[in-house]
Amino acid sequence: MRQKYAYLAWLTLHLLLIVLVSCRDTLRVVAEGPTILPVSFKNFSQKAETALSAALGRKLPASNSAREALATYVQVAGVEAGYGYFAPNVPGGYGLIFELHYPEGRVEYELPLVSSPAAALPIAGFLDSIGRTPHDALREILVKTLAQSVWREHPDVESVRAILGSIRLPTAREFTEGKRESYEFLYAYDFNLENAPAKRNHH
Amino acid sequence: MQSVKTKLFGFLFPPSTDTWLAVLRVGLGLQVTIYSLSLRSDWISLLSGTARKVAEALLSLESHFVPRLGWFVASAAQLGIHEEAVLFLAWACLLAVGCGLVVGVASRFLAIAGWFLHLCAAKSGSFVSYGMDNFLTIGLFYLMLSPLPDRYSLDWRLRKSQPKNPQLLGFWRRVLQLHLCVVYFFSGLTKCLGSGWWDGSNVWRALIRPPFNVIDPEILVRWKYLFPVAGIFIFVLEFGYPVFIWNTRTRKIWLPSVCAMHVVIAVAMGMYLFSLVMIVLNLAAFGTGLFARTKQIRLQPETASA
Repeated sequence: MRQKYAYLAWLTLHLLLIVLVSCRDTLRVVAEGPTILPVSFKNFSQKAETALSAALGRKLPASNSAREALATYVQVAGVEAGYGYFAPNVPGGYGLIFELHYPEGRVEYELPLVSSPAAALPIAGFLDSIGRTPHDALREILVKTLAQSVWREHPDVESVRAILGSIRLPTAREFTEGKRESYEFLYAYDFNLENAPAKRNHH
Repeated sequence: MQSVKTKLFGFLFPPSTDTWLAVLRVGLGLQVTIYSLSLRSDWISLLSGTARKVAEALLSLESHFVPRLGWFVASAAQLGIHEEAVLFLAWACLLAVGCGLVVGVASRFLAIAGWFLHLCAAKSGSFVSYGMDNFLTIGLFYLMLSPLPDRYSLDWRLRKSQPKNPQLLGFWRRVLQLHLCVVYFFSGLTKCLGSGWWDGSNVWRALIRPPFNVIDPEILVRWKYLFPVAGIFIFVLEFGYPVFIWNTRTRKIWLPSVCAMHVVIAVAMGMYLFSLVMIVLNLAAFGTGLFARTKQIRLQPETASA
């Protein structure tokens, strides 16, 4: 019987964490909007999300052992994120194209390289990470990682320009009227030498 | 109070056979095997170099104790072993673990190894991991904690293992069931908050968005009048899951519908691995014995009286 109580205590804590994380992410969705809820819900959602984040130890200092223990548990159990896939709305995604400049003046275009169709999904996730990060330095490092792999395939290239754009998807009606997906320019990075910092241009 | 406690324990520790555990073991074994094989040519490029180091640095801001490939890479570097060799070894071990889980040899050890190796890959490659990795971590986490081996495994035949406590088997199945209810509830809830799922535009966007644009939009657009129905159907199916999955009658509609939804996601969006893990989790949690005749479960003497 004592063993059953131990299992019950663990399950209670485990489910509580799953529900708290899911509620926090749902509230974040409402706070960031747009959703079908009235705009007045945004303020409440922001406050509630902050409170839930605090309950999950996110307001404690990073060095706090309780915060670290909780973070470790949710990561190893796979419950660190909510389940709002493709919700509340499906984002357009991001595209990255490399402009390869050869010494003789020739220019070629290349997409991020993958060998198998199965790797297309992880790469799409990678591009979303690049597009969504608010940190310029991180974005540059991630773009450079992909640029390096292209460079390895084309060692005679003199410089590489990486152009990041967000994808604008047409509605079904626009599609029937002939409109197709388009890219909105976001950032461009010029890489000349492997270790040199990139020169960044943005829209 | 006593009756509430009895009901609670009765709900959380229902006697169960280990068929669901066999489904989970074989299913996740297949998932790990296909996952490894599908990424064989991109594994090293996805998990090596700067991206891995940045992902691990960000992970360290959360916790220093979450497993990662960097631990092995750093240790091996001291022995003069290159990063690529370590990553290849991790991939080969993961593939072997997947195959081992399918046949059920050293089930407990391989379940722990599978969870650990996949977690290392998912965390070190957090920029390239997606929903499938989350659910695979969840599945492997429950698998390694569940009372293995099951009677369909090679372990059972080789070692002549004793039957496991049916109430403990029932408990771990219940944990998986409750978790799936939370998953679908919140997935349905967040979808119904978006106007695009009501008017069907999100179905269209999901199907034409790269890299999910498997079906030609020219074909899809002919079915545009069905998108609002499909959008509402999806979130009703997910939102209603925690209610309708428990009753045996409604489960016979809900479970096949959810599995069919995942098959459509696999075919129409190319998300084969994501769909497979979801179907495996659903079948293990609610699928076994659904269409079979109800059988009496023989309890062990000590658990029967508990």
